[in-house]
Amino acid sequence: MRISNILLMVIFPTAALAEWETNMPRGVTPTSEVAYDLHMLIFYITVVIGIVVFGAMLYSILYHRKSLGHKPAKFHESTKVEIIWTVIPFIILVGMAVPATKALIMMEDTRDSEITLKVTGYQWMWQYEYLEDNVTFFSKISDESNAARRLGSGVDVTTVDNYLRDVDHAIVLPTNTKVRILLTANDVIHAWWVPELGGKKDAIPGYVNEIWVDIKEPGTYRGQCAELCGKDHGFMPIVVHAVSKPEYYKWVGIQKTNRVAKNK
Amino acid sequence: MSTDIEKLHDDHDHGPSSGIMRWITTTNHKDIGTMYLWFSLIMFFIGGLMALVIRAELFQPGLQLVVPGFFNQMTTMHALVMIFGAVMPAFVGLANWQLPIMIGAPDMALPRLNNWSFWILPFAFTMMLSTLFMESGGPAAGWTLYPPLSLQGGDSFPFTILAIHMLGVSSILGAINVIATILNMRAPGMTLMKMPIFVWTWLITAFLLIASMPVLAGAVTMLLTDKFFGTMFFTASGGGDPVMFQHIFWFFGHPEVYILILPAFGIVSTIIPAFSRKRLFGYDSMVYATASIALLSFIVWAHHMFTVGMPLAGEIFFMFTTMLIAIPTGVKVFNWVATMWRGSMTFETPMLFAIAFIVLFTIGGFSGLMLAMVPADFQYHDTYFVVAHFHYVLVPGAVFAIMAAVYYWLPKWTGKMYNEGLGKLHFWLTTIFVNLTFFPMHFVGLAGMPRRIPDYAVQFADFNAIASVGAFGFGLSQLLFVYILFNTLKKDVTAEDKVWEGAEGLEWTLSSPPPYHSFEKAPTVD
Amino acid sequence: MSSFKKTYLSLTLFTIFMFSFSYMLVPLYDIFCEITGLNGKTNQERVLVVNENPSERFVTVKFTSTVANSAPFTFEPIDREMVVQVGKIYNTFYTLTNNTTSVKHATASPSVVPHEDAEYFKKIECFCFSQQQINGLETKELPLQFIIDNELDNDTRTLILSYTMFNTTDQVGSK
Ligand code: HEM
Ligand SMILES: [Cu+2]
Ligand SMILES: [Cu+2]
Repeated sequence: MRISNILLMVIFPTAALAEWETNMPRGVTPTSEVAYDLHMLIFYITVVIGIVVFGAMLYSILYHRKSLGHKPAKFHESTKVEIIWTVIPFIILVGMAVPATKALIMMEDTRDSEITLKVTGYQWMWQYEYLEDNVTFFSKISDESNAARRLGSGVDVTTVDNYLRDVDHAIVLPTNTKVRILLTANDVIHAWWVPELGGKKDAIPGYVNEIWVDIKEPGTYRGQCAELCGKDHGFMPIVVHAVSKPEYYKWVGIQKTNRVAKNK
Repeated sequence: MSTDIEKLHDDHDHGPSSGIMRWITTTNHKDIGTMYLWFSLIMFFIGGLMALVIRAELFQPGLQLVVPGFFNQMTTMHALVMIFGAVMPAFVGLANWQLPIMIGAPDMALPRLNNWSFWILPFAFTMMLSTLFMESGGPAAGWTLYPPLSLQGGDSFPFTILAIHMLGVSSILGAINVIATILNMRAPGMTLMKMPIFVWTWLITAFLLIASMPVLAGAVTMLLTDKFFGTMFFTASGGGDPVMFQHIFWFFGHPEVYILILPAFGIVSTIIPAFSRKRLFGYDSMVYATASIALLSFIVWAHHMFTVGMPLAGEIFFMFTTMLIAIPTGVKVFNWVATMWRGSMTFETPMLFAIAFIVLFTIGGFSGLMLAMVPADFQYHDTYFVVAHFHYVLVPGAVFAIMAAVYYWLPKWTGKMYNEGLGKLHFWLTTIFVNLTFFPMHFVGLAGMPRRIPDYAVQFADFNAIASVGAFGFGLSQLLFVYILFNTLKKDVTAEDKVWEGAEGLEWTLSSPPPYHSFEKAPTVD
Repeated sequence: MSSFKKTYLSLTLFTIFMFSFSYMLVPLYDIFCEITGLNGKTNQERVLVVNENPSERFVTVKFTSTVANSAPFTFEPIDREMVVQVGKIYNTFYTLTNNTTSVKHATASPSVVPHEDAEYFKKIECFCFSQQQINGLETKELPLQFIIDNELDNDTRTLILSYTMFNTTDQVGSK
């Protein structure tokens, strides 16, 4: 993809100035990493197949033309050839299926998580609940983005910090901790997705789904709803702050005192 | 059998009636084929306009033109119009024109039914499009109509569903007609394994249609009764399950995407040998590959819903079956390349479109293969990467094949030759802009841009701007196509009977244009 | 009958069959769900034969709740977490409060994660088996009696039970 970056810059000189994000992020969790590795593996496999197939085609187009006086050959039907081009792809596919299956089994194993975060999709915001600590709050698009995104707002959205990717209440998660994320919805189907934390999963009303994350690096990770959920589907961002475990527990403590204060 | 055909012949005299009634009452396969093709072209432009609304809004971050609700109506309608209004009718139009003259028959087997299957379409689409002018707007839950969201739809909902029912009836009648024609009306001597490959692919497509369209009808009927008659198929509170809709929908939906591509395979397999002046490399294996793709297409549906939370075993099963489809698909591509290999090629417009089809469809196949890997699909799913995938297989796939077919057979249909220079110009413009539009979508998708959103974070801006420029270029280039068509029609030079040097098949033994009743006397095939 | 009519007839029959097939998929799907624990569906009917057979294993069961469509209910588990012995019967409650002044009907939809283990979470008595009727401003305790089956995978140490409460007042009214 860096190569494609360079290619692109040749094609579009102005691109050199802009930030051209062209590939899947490697991410900061074991699940995002296996997804990335698999993605790159298959990408390179298809590039190689592409070079062989398109190369043969290009050669044929260049040299086997009537204008060069090339006479058509008479051959057709060859069981040997047919078998070869069935078996070789099959072997390649097996080579892809093995790591994919391994990765999948790892990704679906949510057991032995330390913390459970329940996510409920609403039209159009998220509700978060830390199951063990009984901390609950809603999280919706930041006021600044929300004002700027209106039709005819007159705001230059490029001046808005993290336009459409900022929320009023971000979630905080500890690093180096296996966190189980439960997904459900209040009204229609949504999907919770932060690319750098790995794949998405649907939040379906009436049922719960689960994924897990284990964030290896502190930082702020952004994502958004990924399943069409009505008019403001494009405006329900997700922000995750990953912090060390002690900091995380400090944050949880503050949330709890806030709650107690509110209830009084 | 022959008595049936004679009986049918009594229904109409041996020349077209005149005026508008000719088109309303016609049972002639060529007239109906022509109507299908024009209808499809009109729909292509209506759907295209919607696409341009989408691309105009996405040209820059921020909302400039439309409100999000209307944007969603555009994405929903664009898909429905393009799939059911543009691509499918175009293939049915080609079938109507070509099947009888390729198998040596006088007409389609069920001419009256043929008339109905066409005339349902304009009514269905008028109804569907009119919902856009309703107060609550048109359908906005995506062409996939997932509940519970689709059940929130306003007044447009029952009309959309009725329209889908009508489209389904039209396709099923068309499919029955195709099968009846192919199975019963072939010229003596034309065994199944001697049929032109386009006829084969349409036969298999027709079976896919009658196997899958009724399932769509069932799914949308359940939606309708859930909304208005208190059934609970898709509502958890009544023991139903919204995910079940997705299973039923994609049980239709995946065969549907092959309905959109198998006839294209047939077209490309016809054109590549013609301009390579060499036989199709492996006719038998092409037939078997098509049939196995069709069979496999019924056991891969859940690859559209890997993120709903299936059991691990289910995910693995659907991953493997989906990967398997790549094998017969690969066999097809390899066969086309082997057909070109050491041929004696010329590059007229149909050939150019066919070659571009192979390359660009294969790129769509590659991204399909990537999407089949469940762990990676958790990232790709519902992003622009998927949008890039299906546009690569549908636009430079299905649509290019249709254009190739039109250029290839237009001289036969009209008796007039199109302007080759303009045809090539149309090809190059279309190919450049199609890539400019859809290739950057891979990048924004991978970088994290979900599909079906009216506005996006600023890091996706550059590629979106490029895609929008490409889309407008693509749209404008198609005006050239319309010009070429009219320009051809008003010419007075006649085309030869055998328009292309390397073309094979019964249709080239007829005059250009062919007589009103194609083969009054069945030709013999040896 | 001519071969031509035969084709026509059999294709029409096939079309009708495929339409009915889409409806046949509904019960098929339910059976499929029950076998595989799709969506974490657990038994929707009372388990009639229960053999208590406590083992040495303990697992954690977490309880959570959702109110669908922002219905005017407060719905919460009494116990957020229980450490239970596999093969032993336990009781717990959820509380449901109707925050309006009119009578409401409500139905709960259960779901268990991990989905693969849903079938081992056996509900003996559950408020989700039937419709609940609740008066205005009333708070009700909804009982749940369950047992974790001894067949539960050894590596599973935590199960989470989630209920989503739907307001079904309109559906009841329309019947
Ligand atoms: C090698 C063959 C192919 C493979 C392995 C493949 C695989 C897939 C997969 C896995 C998806 C789901 C992606 C997701 O939503 O996450 C998908 C989507 C799609 N594919 Fe393909 N595909 C192939 C060929 C085709 C062809 C030939 C067509 C049609 C001409 C097609 C049309 C579509 C469409 C329309 C969608 C998106 C549907 C939607 O969500 O709206 N694909 N494909
Ligand atoms: Cu959404
Ligand atoms: Cu598919």
